[in-house]
Amino acid sequence: MRFRVVIKRVKAGGEPRFDAFDVEADPSESVLDVVERISLEKDRTLAFEHACHHGVCGACGMVINGVERLACITRIGEVAKGGVVVLEPLRGFKVISDLAVDKSRMFGKYKLVTPSTLEIVDGGLQEVQLEKLYDCIECGICYSACPIANTFPEYLGPSLLALISKSGDGKVPAVVDSRAGVWACHAAFECSVRCPVGFKPGESIMRLRRRLLKGELRVEG
Amino acid sequence: MTKSVLVIGGGVTGVAIAYDLASRGLSVTLVERGSLGAGTSGRTHGLLHSGCRYIADAEVARECYSENVTLRRIAPFLFEKNGGLFVAVTEDDLRYKDFFLKQCERAGIPVEEVPREEALRLEPNLNPDLKAAVKVPDGTFDPLKVILSFAASAKLSGAVIKPFNEVVGFKVEGGRVTSVKVLDKTVPREYEVKPDFVVNATGAWADKVARLAGLRVPVKPSPGVMVALDGRIGNMVFNRLNKPGDGDIIVHHRGTSVVGTTSWVVEDPDSVKPPREHVELMVKRGSELAPIVSRLKIKAVYVSSRPLIGEGAASTGREVSRSFAVIDHSRDGAENFVSIIGGKFTTARLMAEKLGDFVAERLGAAKESQTASRPLAPYWLFFEG
Repeated sequence: MRFRVVIKRVKAGGEPRFDAFDVEADPSESVLDVVERISLEKDRTLAFEHACHHGVCGACGMVINGVERLACITRIGEVAKGGVVVLEPLRGFKVISDLAVDKSRMFGKYKLVTPSTLEIVDGGLQEVQLEKLYDCIECGICYSACPIANTFPEYLGPSLLALISKSGDGKVPAVVDSRAGVWACHAAFECSVRCPVGFKPGESIMRLRRRLLKGELRVEG
Repeated sequence: MTKSVLVIGGGVTGVAIAYDLASRGLSVTLVERGSLGAGTSGRTHGLLHSGCRYIADAEVARECYSENVTLRRIAPFLFEKNGGLFVAVTEDDLRYKDFFLKQCERAGIPVEEVPREEALRLEPNLNPDLKAAVKVPDGTFDPLKVILSFAASAKLSGAVIKPFNEVVGFKVEGGRVTSVKVLDKTVPREYEVKPDFVVNATGAWADKVARLAGLRVPVKPSPGVMVALDGRIGNMVFNRLNKPGDGDIIVHHRGTSVVGTTSWVVEDPDSVKPPREHVELMVKRGSELAPIVSRLKIKAVYVSSRPLIGEGAASTGREVSRSFAVIDHSRDGAENFVSIIGGKFTTARLMAEKLGDFVAERLGAAKESQTASRPLAPYWLFFEG
C-alpha cells in the first residue's frame, strides 16, 4: 500500500519545514521501519532516535498525526489518515535535528533525586528475590503530552516523579515537595493517557501528594 | 601531545572502546551515523549471557560468564539478575543434558539441575511436560541503557560522542589514513578530521565502512528475527536445553518477553526484512518452551544483524564462532586503521579492553585498561553537560 509520510525537518540554523515522502509499505509495518527505510533510501540526512524496535527502550518517541507514540510499536496502517502520516518531534524538548530531541531536561534532573532503576518483584517465592527494571522506559512521551512540562521548564516532570514514587524508601528530596515537584502538576493526566507502557505517572504523582500531606514521607535537604 | 582516535560506530562495542581509550588518556571522538544503539546492539533480545548457550566452545562460554560477572559488579543497576533455566522439552533435548552439564563444569559456570516440579514452581508458564531443567546465571537488560552507560562513562573520561555523524570517505596516503570525511546530519554539512588512529567498530557494517578506505573486513552480517510479546511471561530466561537453534530462547525484561531467534547470512545489513515464516517459526518454537506464547498478542517483530567473523563455509551463521577478532589493516596498506568484529553484547567490555591494548601499544599510551574495576556511570549522566 502507498503512504505519504510527512516529516517535520529542523536543521541547525535553518527554518523548520515539512518534507513529504511517498513510500510503499505493508500496513502492518511499524512507523519506525518506514522511517528507517526513508533514511536509507530517500534522505540519508534524516535524523531520528531508535534502538530496541520493540517498545522497551523509549528511544523512538515522536508525535504521530498529533499524538505521542513509540514509532516502533505503532503500525503505519493503524495511524495513517487518508494514507497520510505526519511525524513531528516530541514537544517540550529541544530539537537536536528533525525527529531527534535532547532529553537532558528529563535525564538532567535525575541528579537532583537519583531514582532507582530496579524494582524488587513479589514473586511469592521466599527463597528467591526477583527483580526487574521499572516499566517506565523513560521515553519522554509524558513530558511531551503534559501541559505543565511544556510550559514550565523547571518542572521535574511526570516520569521522574513516578519513578520516585515507586522507588522511594519513605524519604524524598525537598525538590519533590516544591513548586517544581508534585505541586506543579495540574492533574490533567495526559501523561497517563499517552504513556505507552501503562506506568500511570499521573496517579503516582497524586499518591506522592497524598503521602506528603499525610506526613508519611520525610522531606530531606 | 595527546594522540587522537576516531571510533566509528555507536553500538555497545564502539562506546565501550571510546570509554576504554579515553580512560587511558587518549583523545577520543566517536561518530555514529544514527542515534546510539540504532544498529545491531540496540536490537538484541537483551540477554546477559551466562555463556551456557555457546557451551560447546568452553572458552567462549568462559569468556561470556566472566564478563557477565564483571558487568554485574560494575553496573548492578542495569541488569535484571534473575537467572535462567535451560529446559529439556524432548527426548533429544534430554540426551544433550549430560554433555551440557559436563561442559558447564569445564567452563567454570555455576549451574544447578533442578527437579521439574521446582522449575514449574519457579516459572509456571514453562511447558508442563518439561523433562529436565538446569538453572544458570543468565540475566537481562535494556540494551540502550547499557550503551548509554558506557557512553556516559566515556564522556566523563573526556571522549566526545557525536551521533548523527556518518563517515562517508577516507583519504589513504603513504600507507595510512590521513583524513576522514564525515557527514554531520544535524546541519547538514561534511567536514574532515585527521585522527592519529581510526577504529572501525561498526559490526555488521564493518566491511561497508572499510571499503570506503579500499580495505576489506571478513564480516558476515547474520540477521536474526525476534518476536516481542505484549506481556511478560516469566522472570528467569527460558532456554531450550540443546545446541543453538531457531527459537530456542525467551528473554523477559521490563514488561515484555522476546522470543528469539533465527540466523541466516546476508550481504548488506541495511536491506533486511523479517521473513514472515521466521515469525511463525518463533511463535511455534517459543510455544514449545512456554505454551502461553501462542495466546499472546505480538507487539513487535524486528531483526538484528550479528557481525559474525566470516571465515569458513558457514551458511546460516550458527556454525561461526561467537568469539571476536581484531583486524589490523596495516598489512593492507593502512597502518593506523583497525576493525573489530564478532563477539557478543555481553563481551563488549572485554572486546574494548583488547582493542584498547592494541591501540594503546600502537600509540604509545602507557595506561592499562581500568574498565573491569571502575563502576560504570549511570546512563542518565550521558545527558548532562
